[in-house]
Order: sequence, then C-alpha cells, then structure tokens
Amino acid sequence: MNRFYSMKWVRVLLATLVTGSLGLVAASSASASNTSLPYQSAHAGGTLKLMASTAGGTLDPQVNYTLQYWQLYQATYDGLVSFHKVAGAASFEVVPDLATALPKVTNGGKTYTFTLRKGIKFSNGKTVTVNDVLASFQRIFKVSNPNAGTWYSSIVGGAACVTTPATCKLTGGVVVNAATNKVTINLVAPDAEFLDQLAVPFGSILPASAPVKDAGTTPIPGTGAYEFSKYDPNHQLTMVRNPHFKVWSAAAQPQGYPNEIDMVFGSTVESEVTAVENGQGDWVFDPLPSDRLQQLSTKYANQLHVNSLTAIWYLPMNTNLAPFNNFMAREAVNYAINKTAAIALFGGSQLAQPACTILPPGFPGHVDFCYYQKGTGTTYGGPDIAKAKALVKKSGTFGQSVGIVVTNDSVNEAVGQYVQSVLNSIGYKATIKPLSANIQFNYIQNTKNKVQISLSQWYQDYPAASDFLKVLLSCQGFHPGSDNSINIAGYCNKAIDAKMNKAEALGLTNPTAANALWGQIDKQLMGTAAPWVPLFTPKQIDFVGKRVGNYQFSRQFYMYVDQLWVK
Amino acid sequence: MGLFIIRRLTSAVLVMFAISVLVFLIFFATPGVDPAARIAGRSATPQIVAQIRHEFGLDRALPIRYGLMMDHLFIKQDLSSYVNIGDRVVPQIISAAPVTLSLVLGAAVIWLLVGVAGGVVAAANRGKFIDPLIMFFGIAAISVPAYWLGEVVNLITQSKLHSSIFSWVPSSGFVSLSANPGQWALHLLFPWLTLAALYAGIYARVLRAELVNALNEDYVRTARAKGLSERRILLRHALRCSLISIVSLFGLDFGALIGGAALLTEVVFGLPGVGQLTYTSLQNLDLPVIMGCVMYGAFFVVLANAVVDVLYAFLDPRVRLA
Amino acid sequence: MAGLAVFLLVVTICLLAPVYAHDIAHVNPFASNLQGTIVLHGKVVQLLQQNTQGLGLGVTPIGPTWNISHYFLGADNQGRDVFARLLYGGRSSLLIGAASALICCLAATILGLAAGYFGGPIDWVLSRIFDIIWAFPIYLLAISLSVVLLTSGLQIGFIHIGPGSLMLPILIIAAVFVPYVARPLRGIVLSLREREFIQAAIGSGASDYRILMKEILPNAAPTIIVFLPLMVAFNMLTESALSFLSIGVQPPAASWGTIINDGLGLLYTRPVVAIAPGLMIVVTAVALNILGDGARDAFDPKAKLRGSI
Repeated sequence: MNRFYSMKWVRVLLATLVTGSLGLVAASSASASNTSLPYQSAHAGGTLKLMASTAGGTLDPQVNYTLQYWQLYQATYDGLVSFHKVAGAASFEVVPDLATALPKVTNGGKTYTFTLRKGIKFSNGKTVTVNDVLASFQRIFKVSNPNAGTWYSSIVGGAACVTTPATCKLTGGVVVNAATNKVTINLVAPDAEFLDQLAVPFGSILPASAPVKDAGTTPIPGTGAYEFSKYDPNHQLTMVRNPHFKVWSAAAQPQGYPNEIDMVFGSTVESEVTAVENGQGDWVFDPLPSDRLQQLSTKYANQLHVNSLTAIWYLPMNTNLAPFNNFMAREAVNYAINKTAAIALFGGSQLAQPACTILPPGFPGHVDFCYYQKGTGTTYGGPDIAKAKALVKKSGTFGQSVGIVVTNDSVNEAVGQYVQSVLNSIGYKATIKPLSANIQFNYIQNTKNKVQISLSQWYQDYPAASDFLKVLLSCQGFHPGSDNSINIAGYCNKAIDAKMNKAEALGLTNPTAANALWGQIDKQLMGTAAPWVPLFTPKQIDFVGKRVGNYQFSRQFYMYVDQLWVK
Repeated sequence: MGLFIIRRLTSAVLVMFAISVLVFLIFFATPGVDPAARIAGRSATPQIVAQIRHEFGLDRALPIRYGLMMDHLFIKQDLSSYVNIGDRVVPQIISAAPVTLSLVLGAAVIWLLVGVAGGVVAAANRGKFIDPLIMFFGIAAISVPAYWLGEVVNLITQSKLHSSIFSWVPSSGFVSLSANPGQWALHLLFPWLTLAALYAGIYARVLRAELVNALNEDYVRTARAKGLSERRILLRHALRCSLISIVSLFGLDFGALIGGAALLTEVVFGLPGVGQLTYTSLQNLDLPVIMGCVMYGAFFVVLANAVVDVLYAFLDPRVRLA
Repeated sequence: MAGLAVFLLVVTICLLAPVYAHDIAHVNPFASNLQGTIVLHGKVVQLLQQNTQGLGLGVTPIGPTWNISHYFLGADNQGRDVFARLLYGGRSSLLIGAASALICCLAATILGLAAGYFGGPIDWVLSRIFDIIWAFPIYLLAISLSVVLLTSGLQIGFIHIGPGSLMLPILIIAAVFVPYVARPLRGIVLSLREREFIQAAIGSGASDYRILMKEILPNAAPTIIVFLPLMVAFNMLTESALSFLSIGVQPPAASWGTIINDGLGLLYTRPVVAIAPGLMIVVTAVALNILGDGARDAFDPKAKLRGSI
C-alpha cells in the first residue's frame, strides 16, 4: 500500500500467506490466543477527539480505501472474519467475527463454509441474517469496489458481476441457507489470500437494505461497537455507541471505551499539534511537522508512541526510459544517494533506518545485504560518489535531463530536492516536479506521463514477501498507459517472474525454503537490475493527548481508536 | 438608465459563463487528472474505471459534461465532490460562507475605522511630521505579504510567546458566532487584524490623496472664504466628497473578499471558509468543488463591479454613454 | 529618493550574490549539504543536528552564526546557506517582479490603447476579456495555470518553455494583472480621444498608428511610468504568494517566496529562515512604493493603482 495516496493511507492486500497449506490457514489462525486485558469499565465514557486536516472521502466501507477510515471501521463494521484486535504481531491473525468459527475449507481449497452467529443486530436494530451476507457480497460488485475485479472476482460468478454489476447475483458463488444459518462460498480456484480479503472492511456485512451505490456521506448501519451518526467532510465525523451492540468475541469486536469518538477536520497540522499539546485534542492523524518533533520528543515524550513498520520509502526508476533504461545509470544513482541524509529529512535516525534491500528488515524472506555503498558489509556505510560519477560517464548518459516527480508535502519535497541535488552532482540535469499528493501516485504509474524517477512509499499489508516483490516488480503489475500500473519502475523480467511464481507455490508446502528463495530474488533484483533506490524503513509516531490511556498498536490497522481511554 | 443596467447585467452574466467554461477547460486539460481513475481507487480494473466513468457521465462529450455539471450545480443543486463522494458542493459553500463573512466583516470594520481615521489625520496634518509617518505605515502595510504576516503572527502568538503574554490566544480555527460570541471574536481577532492591515493601508492612502485633492477644489475655497474652520471644512465638505471613492473601492474589495480572495489568510489561520475550501479543492483537483467555489467567488466580484458601475452611472450620467 | 536608494541597494546586493557565495561564504546555495559540517568556535559542527534529547526525534539545521563569512543566517533543512540563498532569491524575485511588470505594462498599454482608441467591437471584446480576468479569482487563475503549465511546460509554436523555467511565473503574473493597468489606461485614452487636439489629428487624416504613437502614447506615458514601480512591488508580492503555495519558482532555484515556504517547515525551530526573506520583501516593496509615489508626484498626480494581495 502507498502511504501518501489521497494524502491518506491506502493499502493493497495482495499478500500470500506463507504460513502453510490452505488447510493449515484455519488451523494456525485458530490457535491465536487472546492476550488482551479484561474490559475495565472504570475507564468507559467521555468523548475522544481525533484531528485530521482533511476528511477521508466516502464513508462507504465497501468503497473507501484509506487507512484514515479503515482505522475507524474496525470499531463500526464486521466481516465474517476479521483481524485479531490485540497489540503486537498477533494483530495480523485472522479470527472468526460474525461467523462462529473460521471456515471449513474443502474441495481442494475452493469451498469455504461459514456458520453465521445468531442474534447479532445492526445498529438500526435489525438482526443480521444470511440474506444480508449475500447482499453484501453482491454489493461489493454493485458499488464498483476498487478491488472487485482483482480480489473478489475469484468467487464463482464474480467475473460476470464485474462486467454487469447491476444484475450481480453470484449464483453458485455465495450460497446461503437461512434454516441452517450457513454461508458457503465457492471460488474458481484456490486462493491463499481469500480470508484476508474477507477480513478487511471491503468484506463488511451490511444490511441488505443498504443502497446499491456508493453511499458517500450517508452512514450505513453496521454491527460494531460504534455507529457513525453524522458525517460532514468539511467539519466532523461522529461515532457513537451502537445501542444494539453486545460483545460476542472480544478478539474480533471488543467493547470500546469512549462514549463518543469524533474526528474533526479542517485545521492545519500545526494547529492540531498545538491543540493536542494544550489538551484540546486527543490525537493527530496527519504526519507530524518535522520542526515540532524536537519539542515534542523532549516536552511530550510520554504522549508519543513510536512503532516500527515494515515499509519502505524508495525511488523507483523507469527501466524503460532513458537514462534509467541503462543498468549502469541505475547503479550510479544507487551509489550516489546517501540514505542517511534522506533520513535526516524524514526526522532523524530514531524515525527510520537505511534500507538496502527491497524486503524490509524483519520481514519474511529478508536477507541482510547491502550493495552500492562505500563499505563492503551488509549494513549501509554511506554513498560512493566517485564510483557513481564514473558509472554515469561509462553509461553514456552523462548530461541527460532527469525529471523527479514527488508529492508536494514538505518531507517528500525535501527528499526530492535532495535527490535533485545529488543527480546534478553526478552529471545529470535534474528538475523536480512536486504534484498534489492526490494525483502523484497515479501520475507516476502511468507510462504516458514519461516519469523517469519518482519518490514513492510502500507499506506492507501482510508479512509476505510477494506483497513487495511480486506486486511491485513483476510483469503482472505493469500496465503501460494505465493510471493503475503499480510496477512503477516498469520492470518486467520473465525469468524473475517465473522464480517468484515458484517461490509462491513453494510457500504452500515449505515456507522456509520459499522465504530463502524470496531472499535470493531480492538479491538478484538489486544486484542485476537495481530498479529502485531503496531509501529507508520508516516508523510510525502517534501523538496522543495527556488524558489518553490504553494506547494499543495493531500492525494491521495501527492505533485502536476505540480502545483509548479518555477517563 | 434602464438600458444601461440591462447592458451591464448581460455582460456580467456573459463573464460568469466565460469563467465557468474556462475553469472547466483548464481542469480537463490538466495531465494526470482522470476523475474516474481517482474515484475508482488504487487497483481498480479497467472495467471498473469504465463503469465509474459512465456512472459519472465522464464518458460523454465535453460540452455535454459541461452542461450536466451546470445543471447539477445551479438547477438541481446536487453537484457532488469527486473526492468526498456524496458530499454536495452547494451545502459545502453555504456552510463555509459564514466563516468567510465573519472574517471579512470584522476585518472591514477595522480597516474602515483605521483607514479613514489615518487618511483624515494625515490630510489634516499635511506638512507636519505625522502625515508622512502615517503614509509610511500605510506603505508598509501594503508591502507586507499577508500570508507571511499571518505566519509571523502565528509564530508569536502560538509558539514563542504562547506560554507568557499570549496564553489567552486560542489555537487556530473557527467557532461560530451563534455557538459562542466571545470565542468567535477571540478566534478571529488576529485574522481580522492581519487581513485589515493591508486594506487599512490602502484606504488611508487613497483617502488622504482624495482629501488633498478636494481641499484644492473651488467649493472648499468658497467655504474657507466664508470663514469656516479648517476642521469643519475637512470633515463636513472634503470628507463627504472623498468618501464616494472609498465607498466604491470598498464595494469592490468586499465583493472580492467575500468571494474567497481572503484565501491566504484563511489558509494560514486554518479558517474553514470559502477561500480554504477553494484551496483544498485545488490541492485535490476536485473539479466540482473548484467550479462551485469559482462561480461563487466570481458572482460576488461581478456583482460588486456591476453595482459600483451602476452607482457611478447614477451619479455621473456621462458614464452611461461610454 | 530614499526609495530609489534603498531599491538600488537591494538590487546591487542581490546582483552580488554569486560573488558572496563564491568568494566570501564559499558555499553552493543550490546543492543540498545534508552531511556537511562547519567550524564554529573552533569546533566542527554538523549543519543538520540530530536531536539527542528526549526520544531523540527530529533534526534541526544550524542556526544563525552571525558571522558573515559562513552561514550568517544559518542553514535550511537541506543544509544550504540561508543568507546566500536569500541573495540569490532576491535576484529571482526582483527579476520576476520587474520582468512581469514590464511585460504586463507593455501588453496592457497595447490593449488599453487599442480598446480606448478604436472603441466599437474591439473595445467590447477587450473589455469583456478584462472583465473575465478581473473577476476570475487571481490565485485560482494563477494556480490553475501553474498546475497545468508546471507539469507540462508551455509550447507556443517554436517557443518551448520548460516546466521549471522562470518565464512561467513571469508570464502567469503578467497575464493576471493586465486588466489592472489596461482598464485605467483605456479610460485615459477614452477621455483623450474626445480632446480637441486628437480630434484635429483625426480630422487632418493622420493614420491611426501615427495618432496613437505621436499623440496618445506620450499623453498616456506618465501613467504607465507611475504604474511601473508599483507593479514591480505588487508582482513581487504575488510571486511570493504563489511560491508560498509552491507553484512559483521551482527548486533548487530560490526566490524570497520559496525561501519563506522552506522556512515554514522550520518555523518553530529556525524562524529566521522564514522571517528574513519576508523582511526583504517588505523592505523592497516599501522602497518601490515610495519610488512610485515620487514618480506619481513628478509625472501624474492623479494616477491610481490598487489591488489586493
């Protein structure tokens, strides 16, 4: 997923679970233990005030694709399954939610059978039935969910729904039985990612009466501990307790603490920070301004929470366009960029660590290696400008013009200016194009825009190497002429693709061997192609108000807003 | 006179139309802005993008799309944002308008008081040291970039001295007048002063020039000959004539500011008015909202121009023939 | 005269920017210097200092050294010498202000004269164009033009202006303010046209071109001359506002507006980066306005120019 798309978090879930065969998916997840503390009603009540500079777009959980609202949907909507609501690594596990248990997977991984819990009610008072489940799956297609064609078309009948959504039935794909409360989902082929795709907000179960078009700013009733009561994208989004909510599984949908959760829009990041400092706000959604970090980390250290992320900031180079269609030119840039310097622009050494590999440290398949640097070790030792200059000369690209496309927020633009300066120093004529964060991410993907080098970010969804390597650097992610061509470098190598497919297949039977293979692919990509300059692995900082307690961090959706105490 | 008004209004409508076409064209010529791809989201397939394009009427010919947009904006009034789907443009502007109005009204009171007082005092004391002093302050006020002044004010009141003498300054934002009049004024105090500085400078300078001119006119000489006091001449005769130009100036400025020309002040102080709405929509390249804001802003500018022209024509018949 | 003196002083200092950067400060104000160090009070100091207190978040550039030979006003977040950039930025700001004022006055003179002298349909069309530009919110026009032009550059016939070129802000600003000058000029020409000496010239069968150049232009010239310095000041302010919205001068080039914009990211730690260029703008604009007042008193006491920034 990309951090800055729409100035919000957007994620793509193309991960493949590497934890075992399909049959084992359910088994391994079911073993998840509930480690969270019992509900402490003494802390219940109050109004939590979250602050964001802009709203996150439509409120429809089957359409919205921003982390800004996905973070809130955790407390308002449920799918048949969901991610485990605990802090730490366990937050990546899938647990049963509206279903009584994780599904029985049969038919060679193609049939999933769920039993719907009885007696759960939507916030409008109506009981959740299997018909709501069927309607919700049809609705994914009817509202043109962004991933309808890539994920959910794996359901039988899904492909037809993509072409003619209005008449979507999913006959034979989603079969429900009101008498037994069973929901059977048939896939056209085994899909290791299917459960994850059901656990995200797109898989939310909504009332069958929900409008069959993007509901926009009108809240749709849900089953979570809270319901959205009012949404005005220019002022405020309000969440109040769902009057019909009763805990059925604290692992999937725990009881929340505040009586009301407001997300207030429209102020600048600076004034948001000031408001939280002065106790007029409880949390800042937007990235913190870099000139406030020093003051915050000394005066408000106990209100800051810094968490590691498995993510990367990187410079994709267009491997199909001069000068970066030349491997030596790409090597040269890799040698020249000082990752430590880029980190200084991000907020310093405590907020990021230099990255040499495509797979972030601590990620399955990650191998420590570091090419293109002054030293010879496996950790980053600084740039080698002399080598870079020599390579530029040798490649015959000396003196060529290079355009760098970045988003126009201060950190990205600063990194862009630094890259521009470095490119100029090794013999290119670099210009920088800062674009609105809203359009940059699609702009750099489209080959028609002839972007040579850009700054982009990728934040993981699941701990799976394919989420980085296959999504970002395989032929299937490269669509010339389209705004949706996530392989920004345009790197397409059939031999490496074959190797990635092999690693993916191997992952179903031998995860360890598969991860070793992914590590090799990472090395091979950086060593023989260098389609990117990996810059650094960032960390997430949350700045919360003085009165806020019980901060818990999910690796899946970050801070649990509904678990915060304001009393 | 009636003909003049009709002519003036016709050209006003024409200008509005031309502006709307211009905005429309500029934004469809902008590279990298395919609303359908943006609405569809990150990994949408071509079919889904095509569906959305069709649903939003983005696959129609440009003139039809223009017509549809105008229909939704003015007749059905249900034009909605491309970014916040379902968020209608007209209510957004309606809810932003009071913020801008609060900002501009308060600032206008300040700049009129300061500007008129400055101009009169300077004219009354011409030749003495206070006149060039006031005029220098006027020039300085005109020469300060408003956004920079705003940032410096923020820096002083929100950061450097916030813990001491400016601890009473609330964090930036807007509180509606009906909710809490005291907080309303407190939140707007520094924005008012910042915005008013420039205009106070202009008005003081213009008024002084007008007054000095007027004091050389025949009727002033007559009044002097009659033995009226200098103060009385200045306030009763010269000021009254000079105020006409101030009033027409005020009409134009007020129209432009209500229409969103206070954009930078609103952005710097985080006031959710029309200017900020315009700014955000431009950042997002959210065409429907941009269109709404521009039409709203242009309406006030064109209206103010037309009213001032008609008033002038009323006062000075020669203009009607021009 | 004081205005002229101050203005010339500012211009001279800014013109000397390369000399300062190269021979006095020995810095490259356009290259990032994130890992750079300087010697301060006999100690080697990082230009960008990692915070070591508390949680250790944040990096702060070095503050003013108040030593004219290096980093007089400190460094910006790229480790560049703020004072050197200030001087270079002045060159861009003044150039943009002056060039756009000249282009604007030139275009406005041609259009204003044509509209006022020929009248009829020409006047009607031109006046409506002025009306449109006038009613179009300035920032919106500038922002929309900039967004389009900055991403794709401008191609008119053989002339291609690249996306990073200084010509773009110059042309944008010039275009936006044409009506501000053209409208009053049109008014002046309208009233001149009724005067006897012009009527006599028309009656004597002189060509339009000759009348415009020999009779009307000399009479309108004082107004234009008075407008010029005010326009320069005004356009400079506009440039800084556009750069503040990051749609003016593109990095690594600097203008006072872009330095303010850079400085806003450092407002809480190094306010001088944003304050210094703002003060330079104020000083220059005050000087130009005083100069304009002087010119008005000398040439044309009735000329008025105003607008809002």
